[in-house]
Amino acid sequence: MFSDELKALRRLGFRHVLLQVLNFVQVLASGFMMWKGLGLITNTESPIVVVLSGSMEPAFYRGDLLFLTNPADQRYATGDITVYKIPGADIPIVHRVLETHDVVAKPDDYVAASPLAQPQLLLTKGDNNPVDDLDLYQGLEWLERRHIIGKVQAFLPYVGYVTIAMNDFPQLKYALLGGLGLLALIQRE
Amino acid sequence: MHTIFSRVNNVSAFLSSCLMSLVLAVAIASALYHTYQTPPAAGVVVNSIKVLPGKGRYLRKYRSRQQQEFAFVNFNLTADLSPLFHWNTKQLFLYVSAEYTDQQGTANEVVIWDRIVRRKEDANISSTFKNKYHLKDMSTTFRNAPPAHYTLKYNLMPYVGLLAWGEAARTSEPIPFPEPHQLA
Amino acid sequence: MSASFKDNLLDLLEGKIDFEGQRQVENIAKFALIAAAVFSFIVGVLFQSLSVTFGIFGVAAFVLLLVVLPPWPMYNRHPVTWLPAKESQPPS
Repeated sequence: MFSDELKALRRLGFRHVLLQVLNFVQVLASGFMMWKGLGLITNTESPIVVVLSGSMEPAFYRGDLLFLTNPADQRYATGDITVYKIPGADIPIVHRVLETHDVVAKPDDYVAASPLAQPQLLLTKGDNNPVDDLDLYQGLEWLERRHIIGKVQAFLPYVGYVTIAMNDFPQLKYALLGGLGLLALIQRE
Repeated sequence: MHTIFSRVNNVSAFLSSCLMSLVLAVAIASALYHTYQTPPAAGVVVNSIKVLPGKGRYLRKYRSRQQQEFAFVNFNLTADLSPLFHWNTKQLFLYVSAEYTDQQGTANEVVIWDRIVRRKEDANISSTFKNKYHLKDMSTTFRNAPPAHYTLKYNLMPYVGLLAWGEAARTSEPIPFPEPHQLA
Repeated sequence: MSASFKDNLLDLLEGKIDFEGQRQVENIAKFALIAAAVFSFIVGVLFQSLSVTFGIFGVAAFVLLLVVLPPWPMYNRHPVTWLPAKESQPPS
């Protein structure tokens, strides 16, 4: 059954197969590089996120794409939309800052060279939620800078819905993979 | 371009890059528009502030609800934010926040009211409001809190592109917190 | 009979066009898409409506796909004329 394929492979030669593998790895690597480079510029661990819940409707719906930055020289202000992740929670949350308290460290603590090094206490709330997020903080009283992944700077609707659809309907994932495989088989240059 | 499949491939690739440039052009145009437009005219006036004692939220730290003072603010908003509505405005998020820096140097900013405006017709506001969210000091009392400024700010949320923030109005003088009312 | 039917179906699915047709398709697609993008942007600004912009672009793209994808006869008007086959010589 595979004799034809094997013959074709032998005809193409070992170098050709290696070249294919190299191309594939290059595509993966450049994608990863772009992702990490973007993360480096924006100073956030994930510069692009997909909205997973409806708690910011009607601004953000499930599947919308958000672009984040987390500049080290900026403090968060009320009205900023932040993406945060509480240790212990499995998914990041996109909510708006309701309260900020820029605390000055006590004299017996370290003296901070810059006000940015001082702790900032935050409280957030989803636009579509009736109450603030205190109950989501898993016992924390305030959100702090280290919990925050970034601030939403730009918005692109619908594009991220593909990933959500693939999670919601696993058949779609297999159909897509199968289709791609079929194409790869059919297309032989 | 030889077979249907290769034509689909080629045309859809060029189509998606055209669509991306179109989206980018829309985003840049609205960002430029927002940069160069005149700021909207608005005013915020605080009519009265009351401070009442009450019980705060349950906190795991104390395993109880602590005594806590709440400030109740009655304020007047006049704002015409219709210039902020252009072809790429999905909604405006309006919010009023209280700002004060206490004696320990802690800068506080607390949102006490917000509203989502989705239509240009609703962007003309002239009315009296009360705070929607609790205004409370971190020290549980307003006894040592200095006078606070109240500001009206907005967050412009586009259909696509960059979000923009701005301040529409600010109280001219900081307004002191009154002595707490004693509940009988 | 059935074999030729299958061949016809495959041909239809494959939708081959000739070289001149390929060039035509490429030119039409490029021109139409750029023009549609520019036009829809301008009209959208004038009407102050993003739905107008993307509506125009979507309709234009749909029409373009109809024009460009099927192997219309106008893309097959220049069949390749091959050189006449040489007398095959038996390998000596």
